[in-house]
Amino acid sequence: MYQHDGEDVFVIDAHVHLWDASEENITHDGGEQFIQCFYDYHTTFTPDDRQWDMDEYRKYGQERMVEDLFGNAAADVAIFQPTYLTDFYDEGFNTTEQNAELALEYPERFVLNGTFDPRDGKEGLEYLEELHDTYDIQGVKLYTAEWRDESKGWRLDDEEAFRFLERCSDLGIENIHAHKGPTIRPLNRDAFDVKDVDDAASSFPELNFVVEHVGLPRLDDFCWIAAQETNVYGGLAVAAPFAQNRPGKFSEIVSELLWWLGEDRLLFGSDYALWNPDWLVEEVIEAELTEEHRAEYGVEWDLETKKKVMGENAAELYDIDVEEKKRQFREDEISQQFDLTDHYGEPAAADD
Amino acid sequence: MTDARDTDETIDRRADAPNRERVREALDDVTDPELDRSIVELEYVDAIEIDDERVTVAFTLPTAWCSPAFAWMMAVDARDGIEALPGVTETRVILRDHMHDEVINRGVNERLSFEETFPDADGGVDAVRAELDEKARIARQYDAVERLLEAGLEPAQIAALRVADVEPADETGDVAAVYLRDRALAVTVPMEPIESYLEKAEATGVVSTPDDALFRTPEGEPIDPESFDLVHRRGRLATVNMSGQGGICDGLREARQQRLAVDD
Repeated sequence: MYQHDGEDVFVIDAHVHLWDASEENITHDGGEQFIQCFYDYHTTFTPDDRQWDMDEYRKYGQERMVEDLFGNAAADVAIFQPTYLTDFYDEGFNTTEQNAELALEYPERFVLNGTFDPRDGKEGLEYLEELHDTYDIQGVKLYTAEWRDESKGWRLDDEEAFRFLERCSDLGIENIHAHKGPTIRPLNRDAFDVKDVDDAASSFPELNFVVEHVGLPRLDDFCWIAAQETNVYGGLAVAAPFAQNRPGKFSEIVSELLWWLGEDRLLFGSDYALWNPDWLVEEVIEAELTEEHRAEYGVEWDLETKKKVMGENAAELYDIDVEEKKRQFREDEISQQFDLTDHYGEPAAADD
Repeated sequence: MTDARDTDETIDRRADAPNRERVREALDDVTDPELDRSIVELEYVDAIEIDDERVTVAFTLPTAWCSPAFAWMMAVDARDGIEALPGVTETRVILRDHMHDEVINRGVNERLSFEETFPDADGGVDAVRAELDEKARIARQYDAVERLLEAGLEPAQIAALRVADVEPADETGDVAAVYLRDRALAVTVPMEPIESYLEKAEATGVVSTPDDALFRTPEGEPIDPESFDLVHRRGRLATVNMSGQGGICDGLREARQQRLAVDD
């Protein structure tokens, strides 16, 4: 847990990946360009002394991931968000199955999300059910700009997508994370446009729609939709590292988000390995809103707000009992490995 | 690249021949459609070469993954802007280090349409361009309205303004007179933000006649004074979105230049 002003902040990193962009796994130019694009983001928003080499960035493996997330207790729990990209990568870039190896080894530390692609039709529905049956997933990460043969993307408000959302609803998969981020492809069809979220969210009020990257560069469309649809949430991945090298901009974006959505519908995510929580969590929690923004927007980035955004809101969506987690972490394998058993408080017997 | 001395010689040779200054001015008017900022200001332009009546411009975007539609718009706008200069008979635009650079360069320089250039795309770029123009209009409205609020106008007065209520206050054109209360009263403010707003408002078609309401909701409707604050908030949000994305683009461009420098 991050200690801030003498208080513990339980951190759920709601957006992490375990990817493989090794050259052997790349089967399409798009795969190489994709990881290069990620690496540009990584170097742009990472302090110089914390930047990775390209080689280690391509494929970092389970051990390093566990240490980067939990080694200094910056994150306490992490949520896997898969990104398949099977037209670019032989074995996929970051699939549920790949993530599951680690998630099943440390089930108390990871939440495993699945995915669906409406273009897969009946087989896709079967796959969604298989993920649900095998891993008991509570959420899916959707990548609407993913290439599939001739298709360069799909929309959440497509009729076919609605069939999948209905199935999610039937299966109790309540958390729908849609990647809505910087424009990278495809051509003029703007597959990261956030407007499709509007119709989906109002049609499925029982589901929660987490717009990852708060729609940047469509923060305006995102906030306007979220202001009207109370089941729309914002994932802070990409916005978060602004805290490090563009603090004024971070202050402004967070102020807007708090003004339009309030403090209950924002989720912290590092987007690991785009950025490492072991420095990013500190940057975000220690960030301050400028006097000017606090006055203009009438919002606060105070301890209560930080606790919600950094963990409590995600805990709410994923039914995570934070106090129970803390008890578990007094003696789980990761706490022992990183000498964190004291970190999570007194042994259970001495509690209360 | 041509340096300043060459430019002077060019001017000496023929008054209406293209020179670097005029080319740069033409490029000043070309904006990154997502950021509503000039590609010159954003430092995308790498080189301007002038060979008598032929002008070649090279530019690089922050990442190879920049939207091909946006790249296309900037390349076409640069081409058309330079071509409109007196004395230019041939224009060539070279987009560098983009995943579709060859395709885009061929399409733009051979004067193909976007659809011809990208047969697998779903149609043209007009809809995307219109949407981004509309966002630029909203952001520019915010800046203009801020000036009017600073000058002491009330929200209801601002919402009631018509296009004809704004006039140049003097012959310099730098100051605007904004008429209130059936022209009984005028307030002066800098012309630039209002002019800049009007340019986009006219381009997007939300205002066309002197009697039209000057400022609009993001949907293009006249503003109900009751919802003035919300509309103004949405304008603010549009500016935050653009400058936020600008921060990402700036950072990516710097990171990429460092990487390319290392690779070299």
